[in-house]
Amino acid sequence: MFRRILIANRGEIALRVIRTAREMGLECVAVFSEPDARALHTRMAHVAVPLGGRLPAETYLRIDKILDAAKSTGAEAIHPGYGFLSENAEFARAVLDAGIAWIGPPPEAIEAMGDKITSRRAMRKAGVPVVPGILDPVADAAAAKTAAKEVGYPVMLKAAAGGGGKGIRVVRDPAHMDLAFRTASGEAKSAFGDGRLYLERYLDTPRHVEIQVLLDRRGGGVHLGERECSIQRRHQKLLEECPSVVVDAATREKMGATALQAARAVGYENAGTVEFLHSKGEFFFLEMNTRLQVEHPVTEMVVGRDLVRDQIRIAAGEALGFSQKDVAWRGHAIEVRLNAEDPSNGFLPSTGTVRNLRMPGGPGIRLDLGLYRGMEVGVDYDPLLAKVVAWAETRDLAIARMIRALQELNVGGVRTSAPAALSVLEDPRFRKGDFDTHFLETIDLSARRAGEDETVAAAAAIWRHHLARRRALSSSSAERSGWLARSRGETDRSGRGDARA
Amino acid sequence: LKYFVAVNGREHEVDLVERLGRLEVAVDGKPLDLAYEEVDDLGQVLVLRDGRSFALSIEGDESRAAVTLAGHFHDVRLENERERAAHAAERQAAPGGGIVRSVMPGVVVEVLVRKDEAVLKGQPLLILSAMKMQNEITAPSAGIVAQIHVAPGQAVAAGANLLTLAVG
Repeated sequence: MFRRILIANRGEIALRVIRTAREMGLECVAVFSEPDARALHTRMAHVAVPLGGRLPAETYLRIDKILDAAKSTGAEAIHPGYGFLSENAEFARAVLDAGIAWIGPPPEAIEAMGDKITSRRAMRKAGVPVVPGILDPVADAAAAKTAAKEVGYPVMLKAAAGGGGKGIRVVRDPAHMDLAFRTASGEAKSAFGDGRLYLERYLDTPRHVEIQVLLDRRGGGVHLGERECSIQRRHQKLLEECPSVVVDAATREKMGATALQAARAVGYENAGTVEFLHSKGEFFFLEMNTRLQVEHPVTEMVVGRDLVRDQIRIAAGEALGFSQKDVAWRGHAIEVRLNAEDPSNGFLPSTGTVRNLRMPGGPGIRLDLGLYRGMEVGVDYDPLLAKVVAWAETRDLAIARMIRALQELNVGGVRTSAPAALSVLEDPRFRKGDFDTHFLETIDLSARRAGEDETVAAAAAIWRHHLARRRALSSSSAERSGWLARSRGETDRSGRGDARA
Repeated sequence: LKYFVAVNGREHEVDLVERLGRLEVAVDGKPLDLAYEEVDDLGQVLVLRDGRSFALSIEGDESRAAVTLAGHFHDVRLENERERAAHAAERQAAPGGGIVRSVMPGVVVEVLVRKDEAVLKGQPLLILSAMKMQNEITAPSAGIVAQIHVAPGQAVAAGANLLTLAVG
């Protein structure tokens, strides 16, 4: 086993990995950008290395800087988290070439699955069902229109490289192809440096169901069942659960076997996720995420395993140590993502400094977060601040538990996606399990409930009354101390002294 | 003291009277049995109303507050009588149409309309890149593009003027 590992990431996932590594008795090396100098992952690691710079391109995306940090601190392995360099085969290869272990799949597997087009080709060849679509990327809107005629509207434009909901547009009508192509391609280019798009049929009442797999280096492999990720907007997930209400034991077994077949076709090892589009009992391969997923905790809660521990053990050459028959699913888990965004205003990004913070707790609640009081939320990084995970014996109890947790939660200074998640959890259709990937679009999130208006109005008026009085008091005391300072001759003539007083 | 409080766009009148060091509160003329306590100076507030407990969080400034109650968000606008009169005068003086402002900091990727072009409500006006996403900024109402304040590649702050729409 390693003694020291480096975590090439930030935010909640960096802390998530550090927590397990510390439990395993491993020393953790954090890397951090200038805005993250006070971040939780920087504080909770044993060793922290500044990367210098502010933007991802100057810091967490710099292979050279991260390798230097690993070498200078004697890290024996690198965990990439998700996002940033986690699905960059060049990085994985550079890590291995430097004699450092890579806590992830082989670079060849990342490459085979990284390009959505080559991966679909490989899957078709391996006998894994895929969504109807074209296999070659299209260069411009005109070519996309020609291809769309063949595939049939509505079609989905998707970035050839990438994920995370960037570079994706649904086109229902040829008239909208030009703008959709331009924005999707522009987004893909700025996010991944590759503006190529491919298109596929957009399925109706689709559900996004994904399978977690774990494979070791010795031929051992298991699936840990599915995650239901249909509650999403513009392909950004908001709420995930395990298990899915549409997957029974027989379907789970079939999807699990297919996922393992997909993973083995590219020589996969370590943790990975095979995403499927589930539509009316059928399922189609979408893509494989060759890394740990944001929503991995719901699987952990239900199967009772620590996936990061398994990842590190596999990277150290250990055998899985258990087989498919040892995997059991117990109870139900739900995850809610707290993104810095405004659900009542089209989920636009929200920025600010977090001051007021009240986090939930109690039975069955798990918090994975990068959030802290004093944190400045800007636009340079992913908007994910924290994840709230609830586990309970049944789905109904898990929903009730999550509602309770979100009622306890306050994040001040920025708007978050929490009220949107609460609206989903309170919706009778969601409770019945009757939803697809368009569900979030059908909820009117700007319709705020009345009922508590009087209390809210009264409290806000009193709050303002107190605020005004506090301001009046503090300004008069500032004036007074100013007068005192001047009378004692302490005034800083440059005027800078006042700001610090 | 009288405040005009709009909770998610619904107007209420709140009267506060300080009597013997205690605040008496009435909303829309109805007196409330209500005790108010600030837990900290970060925004945690406890309200007891008719014995029922409400753990609120309130943040913002004199004119606008974000109130969270049991996980749900309430957008609250506050005015006193003097401010209300001043705002009413402003609204009367303002011409039709309006300025489309950026609701977030970002970089202008592309301007999709030209000056003097007629636009429909909801039509994409420009593309703003923020948090690695490209967001279409759409027209809040139909109108004519009177002025374009930004150019592609330009970084804009939240609240910056993007376009001015005139009534068509």
